[in-house]
Amino acid sequence: MRDQRPPDLAYRLLRRALAEDPAGPSILGDLHEDFVRMAERSGPARARAWYWKEALVLAVGRMARLGGAPNGNAGGRPGRGSRSRLGLRGILADTRAGLRSLRRNPGFVAFATLIIGVGIGASTAVFSVMRPLMLAPLPFESPRELVWVANNQEGTSLSHVTSRSSNLRDFRELSESFAGLTGFNAFFGQSIYTLVGDAEAEQLIGVDVAHDFLSVLGVRPLHGRDFTVAEGLWAGPPAVILGHGFWVRRFAGDPTIVGSAITLNGVPRDVVGVLPATFDFSSVFAPSVNVDFLLPFAVSDETDRTGNTWSMIGRLRPGATPASAQRDLDRIIDGLSAEDPDRWGLGAVVTPLQEQIAAPFRAGMLLLAAAAGTVMLIVCANLSNMLLARGPKRRREVAVRRALGATRGRLVRQLMIESLFLSVAGALVGYFIASSVTDVVANTSGLTIPLLRSVTVDAQALAFCAALALVTGVAIGVVPALQVSDGQEASAMSSGGSRSRGGRGSSRLRETLVVAEIALACVLLVFGGLFLRSFRAVLSVELGYDPENAVAWQLNPSVPFDNPNEMIAYFDQVADRVAAVSGVESAGLIDALPLGRNRTWGMRVVGMEEPPDGDYPDLFPHMIDTGYLETMGIPLLAGRAFNRDDARGSDPVVMINASAARELFGGADPIGHEISTGGSSNDWRIIGVVGDVRHQALEMGAGIQVYFPIRQIWGFNTLDLVVRSRVPVGSITGPVASVLRELDPGMPTQESWTLVSTVERASSSRKFVLTLLGTFAATALLLAALGIYGVLSYTVTERVPEIGIRMALGATSADVLRRVVGRTLLLATVGAAIGVVVSILGSGVIASLLFGVEPTDPLTFVGMIAMLLAVAAVSGLFPAIRASRTDSVTALKV
Amino acid sequence: MAKIGEFELLVLLAVLRQSDAPYANRVRAYLEANAGRTVTRGALYRTLDRLTSKGLIEWELEPSETPERGGHPMRRLIVTDEGRDAARESRDVLLTFFEGLGPVLDG
Repeated sequence: MRDQRPPDLAYRLLRRALAEDPAGPSILGDLHEDFVRMAERSGPARARAWYWKEALVLAVGRMARLGGAPNGNAGGRPGRGSRSRLGLRGILADTRAGLRSLRRNPGFVAFATLIIGVGIGASTAVFSVMRPLMLAPLPFESPRELVWVANNQEGTSLSHVTSRSSNLRDFRELSESFAGLTGFNAFFGQSIYTLVGDAEAEQLIGVDVAHDFLSVLGVRPLHGRDFTVAEGLWAGPPAVILGHGFWVRRFAGDPTIVGSAITLNGVPRDVVGVLPATFDFSSVFAPSVNVDFLLPFAVSDETDRTGNTWSMIGRLRPGATPASAQRDLDRIIDGLSAEDPDRWGLGAVVTPLQEQIAAPFRAGMLLLAAAAGTVMLIVCANLSNMLLARGPKRRREVAVRRALGATRGRLVRQLMIESLFLSVAGALVGYFIASSVTDVVANTSGLTIPLLRSVTVDAQALAFCAALALVTGVAIGVVPALQVSDGQEASAMSSGGSRSRGGRGSSRLRETLVVAEIALACVLLVFGGLFLRSFRAVLSVELGYDPENAVAWQLNPSVPFDNPNEMIAYFDQVADRVAAVSGVESAGLIDALPLGRNRTWGMRVVGMEEPPDGDYPDLFPHMIDTGYLETMGIPLLAGRAFNRDDARGSDPVVMINASAARELFGGADPIGHEISTGGSSNDWRIIGVVGDVRHQALEMGAGIQVYFPIRQIWGFNTLDLVVRSRVPVGSITGPVASVLRELDPGMPTQESWTLVSTVERASSSRKFVLTLLGTFAATALLLAALGIYGVLSYTVTERVPEIGIRMALGATSADVLRRVVGRTLLLATVGAAIGVVVSILGSGVIASLLFGVEPTDPLTFVGMIAMLLAVAAVSGLFPAIRASRTDSVTALKV
Repeated sequence: MAKIGEFELLVLLAVLRQSDAPYANRVRAYLEANAGRTVTRGALYRTLDRLTSKGLIEWELEPSETPERGGHPMRRLIVTDEGRDAARESRDVLLTFFEGLGPVLDG
């Protein structure tokens, strides 16, 4: 213990601080002695902590005292020359002087800290939300090598961007650009799984992946191993890799589960591995879905028959680029097409994976970043302004210090330290704001933005926050600091009093800042207004069905059906029994409810001319039972609806939507025509026309929708049950679920959702952007109003004598009021005019984010400008009233 | 009393009491044990500096090779004649003021 040494850094710090104190060495010894005693008594760790504390307190105290006020009378100390004034001690002294000066204005400090906090908080929160998606590398090994190979980027449905098994097989074989080419089944959501075990049956989601999916991404299982090649073959050994969350939730994180089997949908599967917590499939590839495990999916002729299913991901070979890979694949595709001219669905578009994942959100994120930056600019302008307004008061203080020998550099430094202190305090507030915001964001479920779950204010965000504080401190402080110390102190001394003229230049500068604030606020308000109108437009779109009072279940029968009749009997029974539940108005079945999954099939109308380049239109297929249309409230426009006689053995029939009738048949009557489709070998006779339904997205039209009766086609893996209620939906979910359990005790029934919630989720990203943008715009407006108020208040105070003279010469209160309010409106109008120009210039950028409203929508512009001017007028009114109450006698006495 | 504050007086007296080993750590330990208050290191050193500048104490560095002090010297504190005078004066003033107050103070 005797050779126990104090922490080196603390020791050196203290030694340096005591360097000019003749008693310094003995003080070091005293501390050392107590340190050794402390270490023997409480252990080395506590002793070291104690030493740090003591050393810091002593060092700071010493330095502050030595560099401090000139009345320090510790005689005989050498080395207090003026040079050290500009060193560490000088800074400490200036800091103390700065803090003293701030302490005299607690209101100002509180306000400044708060608004800087709002600005930095908003910026840091947006930075944190953007970072995982746009700035940080994806959570995979060497993510820059990863690319997304889409089939063709033009269509909107998943069937357009996915690829066939044969494409993946041939690209793997023929391409020289990839170290690995893999993929997953983009339609994984169509199959749900039931785990049979001791707990209640649970509905689970598994993703089918190529056997090398994890190895191409560079993800190593936490326990166990990756899929083998054999497991990746058609009908290979059934295997499963558990997701980390599912493993922890369902198996309590027991590593011995690896090697045992679990039964999914009646099939026992070997658990071969567990994914690490760092790999979250859904957060990257399928936000808003919880994926529980991975299953092998074969690249084979059998899976090729189901058409475009693969989302393809490649890892580039060293030296290859997305462009060279694109050329490579183009060459291969040309060769394959020449070999087999009938081959369909052949295409490849290579994009960096990160770009692919971030692309749909890039514009929105950049908009938010720009908005946060704008708020930050307004904050800076506002504070610069307030510091400028304090300038004349400071002038006297500065003049005294100058006269006592302070250099200009030192004065600027002290003022800069003050503004830096404000910005650092603001950054602390901002950090807490950002943390709370990101907490809320990360825990908001149902957002369809990738990687949001990993949003936190991490070290990088903290560094960003700190850097922003530094820049802010300098930005808000530099102009006022230079102005205050611009060498006109003599006049400040002689004119006495705090009301010395701020100078025409200074007041023009402050007005310019206010105009800038108003212009920036105007841009944010206009954009916020456009978003609000878009959001309302989205919410008021004609859905084509009635989402109110409807609740849905995804049905996943626990027993496999031997033949179609058995299945039909089962679903008939479900629909009938559920419809009989008290409070239920009707019940219907469909393979996928609107705003859920979607797919497309190629089609043609029988007897119509073939399109010239074989470019058949795509249809969105829906398989429904007889109760679906009525339950959803989708109107029958012509012909008849399905009945239970439209079954196997009878004529294959379909219904189409109004858009299909219009696009395919123009004005002619579609009833009786036949269509053929890639999804089935039959020709289908059209028996009815129904209303359009928004089923892909709220913002997207219906396209060609074709309804098939479930009795005649088996093109689905699961069915959704939708139930319309006469009573609040909450009161029927229990009874319906128990009916379902009676029919099939092994089927999970806990998870139901309302159609209203689906619509809400479909607008959630938009709402997310709107909420943030709206908050920013409101903040901007408030800050701009405060800016106007601050500047006019100051101007009024400054001009009391002038106003007094005017009133003595006969000006009325009303005249004065008019003058001040007029000035306010002039500033606001100039600002708004600049803001409008900027908004129009910027409107092209946000056009892609808007829906149902033009980026130059006059109503929004006029409304927002009116609001801005009204707020400006109100904030100018208070100083104006004060001015109009000026008593000319008192004013002239001052 | 004009020359010296209360805490300065306590430090001065404590130094006088540690005549066998008049070092800062000892002085601080004595003060903490007997003055009924915590004495921070900084406060003690500042007070010693003030007493020095008033000429009430002097000090000299004494080499120390003990490992407990990491080879750093010790500061031997010496109360000057002026220091003794100041202590005496303070005592006299205090006694004058206390005189006759016994019944009032002790009830």
